[in-house]
Amino acid sequence: MPDQNEDIRIGVFICHCGSNIAGYLDMEALEEFAKKLPHVTFVQRNLYTCSEGGINEIKKGIQEQDLNRVVVASCTPRTHEPLFRSSCGEVGLNPYLFEMVNIRDQCSWVHMKDTEQGTAKAKDLIRMGVAKAALLEPQEPIISEVTTRALVIGGGIAGMTAALAIARRGYEVVLVEREASLGGMLNALNQVGPTMMEASDLVQEKVKAISEHSRITVFTQAQVTEVQGFIGKYHADIETESGVKKIDVGVVIVATGGRALVPEGLYGYDGKRVVNQLELESLLKGGLRPDVQNVVMIQCVGSRNKERPYCSRICCQTAVKNAMLVREQNPEARVCILYRDMQMYGVENEEMFRDSKKKGVRYINYTPEEPPRVEDGKVQVYHALLGRHMDLPADLVVLSTPLVSHEDAETTSQLLRVPIDENGFFLEGHVKLKPLDFATDGVFLCGSARFPSNIREAVAQGLGAASRASIPLSKGSVEVEPIISVLADEDACRGCGLCVALCPYGALEIQQTEKGRKVHVIDVACKGCGVCAATCYQHALSINSFTDQQIGAQVDAFLAG
Amino acid sequence: MLDVGRHPNIELLAYSEVEGLKGTAGEFTITVRKKTRYVEEDKCTGCGACAEKCPTVVPDAFNEGLGERKAIYSYFAQGIPSTHTIDADHCRQLNGKKCGICAKTCQADAINFDKKDQVIELDVGAVIIAAGYDVFDPSQIPEYHYTEIPNVVTAIEFERLLSASGPTEGHLDRPSDRAVLKEIASLEKQAKKSQKTLARFEEKYNESSASFYDKFQGGQYEGDEDRQKWADKYAAHLAIVEPLESLQKKAEGFTVARRLAFIQCVGSRDFRFYPFCSGYCCMHSIKEAIIAHEHEPETASVIFGMDIRAVGKGFEEYKIRGGNDSNVSYVRGRVAEISAGPDDNPVVTFEDTRERKVKNQAFDLVVLATACAPIKGMAALAETLGVALDPYGFIKTSPLSPVDTETPGIFVCGCAESPMDVPESVAQASSAAERAAEVVFQPEMKEEKAVA
Amino acid sequence: MCTGRVDPAMVAGAFKKGLDGLMVVGCYFGDCHYITGNVQAKAKMDITRRLLKHVGLNQDRLAFRQCSSGEAAVFVNLVSEFDQRIREIGPIGGGGDPVEAPDIFRKMETAEAVLAGEKIRWVIGKRTPFLESGNMYGEVFTQHEFNRAIDMIIVEETEVQEILRELREGARSVKGLAQALTIPSERVFKYITALKRKGMIKLDKVSDRTPYFQIIPQEG
Repeated sequence: MPDQNEDIRIGVFICHCGSNIAGYLDMEALEEFAKKLPHVTFVQRNLYTCSEGGINEIKKGIQEQDLNRVVVASCTPRTHEPLFRSSCGEVGLNPYLFEMVNIRDQCSWVHMKDTEQGTAKAKDLIRMGVAKAALLEPQEPIISEVTTRALVIGGGIAGMTAALAIARRGYEVVLVEREASLGGMLNALNQVGPTMMEASDLVQEKVKAISEHSRITVFTQAQVTEVQGFIGKYHADIETESGVKKIDVGVVIVATGGRALVPEGLYGYDGKRVVNQLELESLLKGGLRPDVQNVVMIQCVGSRNKERPYCSRICCQTAVKNAMLVREQNPEARVCILYRDMQMYGVENEEMFRDSKKKGVRYINYTPEEPPRVEDGKVQVYHALLGRHMDLPADLVVLSTPLVSHEDAETTSQLLRVPIDENGFFLEGHVKLKPLDFATDGVFLCGSARFPSNIREAVAQGLGAASRASIPLSKGSVEVEPIISVLADEDACRGCGLCVALCPYGALEIQQTEKGRKVHVIDVACKGCGVCAATCYQHALSINSFTDQQIGAQVDAFLAG
Repeated sequence: MLDVGRHPNIELLAYSEVEGLKGTAGEFTITVRKKTRYVEEDKCTGCGACAEKCPTVVPDAFNEGLGERKAIYSYFAQGIPSTHTIDADHCRQLNGKKCGICAKTCQADAINFDKKDQVIELDVGAVIIAAGYDVFDPSQIPEYHYTEIPNVVTAIEFERLLSASGPTEGHLDRPSDRAVLKEIASLEKQAKKSQKTLARFEEKYNESSASFYDKFQGGQYEGDEDRQKWADKYAAHLAIVEPLESLQKKAEGFTVARRLAFIQCVGSRDFRFYPFCSGYCCMHSIKEAIIAHEHEPETASVIFGMDIRAVGKGFEEYKIRGGNDSNVSYVRGRVAEISAGPDDNPVVTFEDTRERKVKNQAFDLVVLATACAPIKGMAALAETLGVALDPYGFIKTSPLSPVDTETPGIFVCGCAESPMDVPESVAQASSAAERAAEVVFQPEMKEEKAVA
Repeated sequence: MCTGRVDPAMVAGAFKKGLDGLMVVGCYFGDCHYITGNVQAKAKMDITRRLLKHVGLNQDRLAFRQCSSGEAAVFVNLVSEFDQRIREIGPIGGGGDPVEAPDIFRKMETAEAVLAGEKIRWVIGKRTPFLESGNMYGEVFTQHEFNRAIDMIIVEETEVQEILRELREGARSVKGLAQALTIPSERVFKYITALKRKGMIKLDKVSDRTPYFQIIPQEG
């Protein structure tokens, strides 16, 4: 609660913004108005409050007029609030005793043609700002140490790349792989496009680099079974063959990959004559039988349908690559790809697509309304572009099935308290702007755990996630703006947990204290959205700089106009 | 953008170009030309008062020339830095005429017409190329008649038309209609002016121009020089008013564009231009069609494409939603030709590959999904930096080192590397930052040195 | 801070002090800077509007709308439409609402107390999970069932708060309360019993064989 006996001295600085504000509002009237507001002891108009001169005036005001609250009425806080705040701080006024009022965007710009109304609204806003300023309390930034070690879950190409990158930056990495050896899906692949490198060579190269790296600890046949904590301070339990290891890490990268759908019950799948692309990879690895002379591949098996509406992105390129490899091994073989849309996006894929046509791979367009039918030794298809049914002889039918999320994705998501989407893939912080971050700070994402990715994409994302994760590691601490939730009235809290359930960031937890069950705010995880404070029926939670009293004072000030 | 402008570890050199590079990874020296803005960066507050008063109007490049800006300007409203720039090609003062209004208006005293380019040298450990891409110029495709048919626009032009802060405030006014309205405005201005002149005569002779003109043509005032002038003026006035009225009548029927065609692979997957797939265009066409439908629920869009490549997270679902909820239909096939039709409605000729028939269909507006082309200066930039390009002019990388150029210490991200969408670009930017940080911090090298 | 910070009690409090209209504008769903804050803001405002309507406020006075920061034109439309609507309705309690001033302000005070209270805040907080994953017994509510439950709670909570208001002015009998508040006496009796059990009221006196109840002052 604010100190009742404090002598509140508010300084109001009203910015002309050249003529941006002064050209449309009655500045003298605003000055006179502000002078009469409660607690206001100093008012000044500036040509540009954000200029060096303007900033010096604020500093002078604080020092010479003994101001203990500052209100600037100017433009949007998005650009200049940090500047004004730090300027207050430079002369010893706590930066959170500053309040900003936007009389440019909200007054002079939108009411350009009506000086009287624009000025009246500016008065309202200034009165509200001053009312809030009187109740502002000093805040201190929250700084928390970071354990400079990363946990990477998943040892496929994305996870291995991320682990290596973080290690190269000089930080320790714990890499956890569920299977007996690193490599992930690459272990099941033959050659990878577009360079047709042997997948096993690629795995060996990465595994060698990892094993030579002193800063990387690898646990295979291991699983993360418990994660507690928050950015900078995570404690994880890893179940290994030799017992549970407890490790402390600062950041976590999720690289758990996906798996190829096994198309049980679709197109006569039997794993022998009707196989999926992953099984074809191993057939190719061992060398195709020479009597396989007619190969038909069917795209979008088990995807782009009602049950699984997404396009799995990489199956077309896999099919094209494998079609060419079939022709390489059995040059006389007829290879036909039945497709809906050939998803050969970008430069390399489209190149490979053209190349495959030159190398004799045939393409037939089908529609989901009339899907192909697999019969004994042949595939019947309606050629949508020619408009007729065709019978294609088939010694081997290859079904291109989507990559689906891993069985334990849900468990991982619960352990880390990060979301998964309707298709079972992990849901990033923002689909466009934060593709490798989770909304939860300190947890990152890469590879097919996010969405089906080819090798180039998985490597790029592995590097990217490493970069994101290295930021808190290299800083060594995380600093959080103190405008967050606080348990202002501990006695009132009943520990009911309603707020915990609603917090979008998992920043609240119930703790057993001497006074019983009480909510605890994990300050570094809180973003200050205020949902909890607006929910708590005991009114025990409050938001720094947006308390009920401060907002209430603004409402009162508005209605007093 | 704001974060970049504000970050204490980022020095932003906008309006600048790299001219040279020396050294090796970890120890580069880079030469940068800071082009003069004729505005002092440290004084300008970005308030925009100068642009308001500047008398010179120039087509606005940010709005793809669809709108207008002044000769002193900030590239766009939320641009960072907000420092204004004088366009030396159009500024009156810089072209020897008398002006300097901006300097008088600027209360921060930031205008400096004598400011010169500055060439600076920077010591850096690593370089990241994020030079982006250019929009393919569709006028190279003869059968689409992009420059000849007014209502054929590129996707980026369409994007500006859809934007609430764009030249039409988000209304899908057709370029041909906007041209007519502009013509009307200009004719109205002329008519008003000639009306004034006529009014003087009418007052003088106390007679309406029309009735006078009848008499004049009947030969009544032969030899009267003053009246001859009146008659000439009136004839000139009629020459303005008549087309004006017919245009006004035409304009009454104007509505926003409701029937939209989106044409995919304009310049991409095309051996005459770029054989590659630009990757993101299918999605931006779907997005634009959906947004157009949000603006105007009667909008119906047809997207013409060979394959609709909705391959990203949630993309296929978005495509289906477009079809179900936003009146978007998808036609498989390449458009053979766009021709001019009645009422400025472009006509699209295409093969409906499902029905195997060639069809013609008229639209209010045709939007071209143009290819992602390497930037014009890419070859020069690559030479300056000493990095290799791929056959198309993008920066060359390899699948296992997706952000490494062939020159150590120099990295690349985004469409400078190959066409990609926003999430991929963002992810790649982080990848490039990672690789650059590895070079700049070099913990391993330092350790090795310490051991040695 | 997020629209999710807008406390329903503050909303009723502002109307109590004479506010004519309130529009809460949040981001689109899925685009919230605070992940799900806007979903909760909508839940809060929807239920607040139901309650305010129940006690006699024109429900158009409270709006929840969505637009993104890039959509200036959309925002202008939202504000203009809302402004126009509020001008049509006129000042609060001035004929545009089922209850007129000054009664409306007393009603808003009751609403404020209801919205600050435990029961309604639980319901608001649990709205999304109730509708999506069900309650603790796994029963998933339809929107219709949920609204019916909400309306019942709104009626009960409002009546309880009105009883407490009356009692704050002095001791009352069940019959007296029933008449003053036009609530059936069996319902008043039910509330009185519950309030007594919670330790919020106690027996004041028995006069003429009729028990009178009075409020127990709460700490803080």
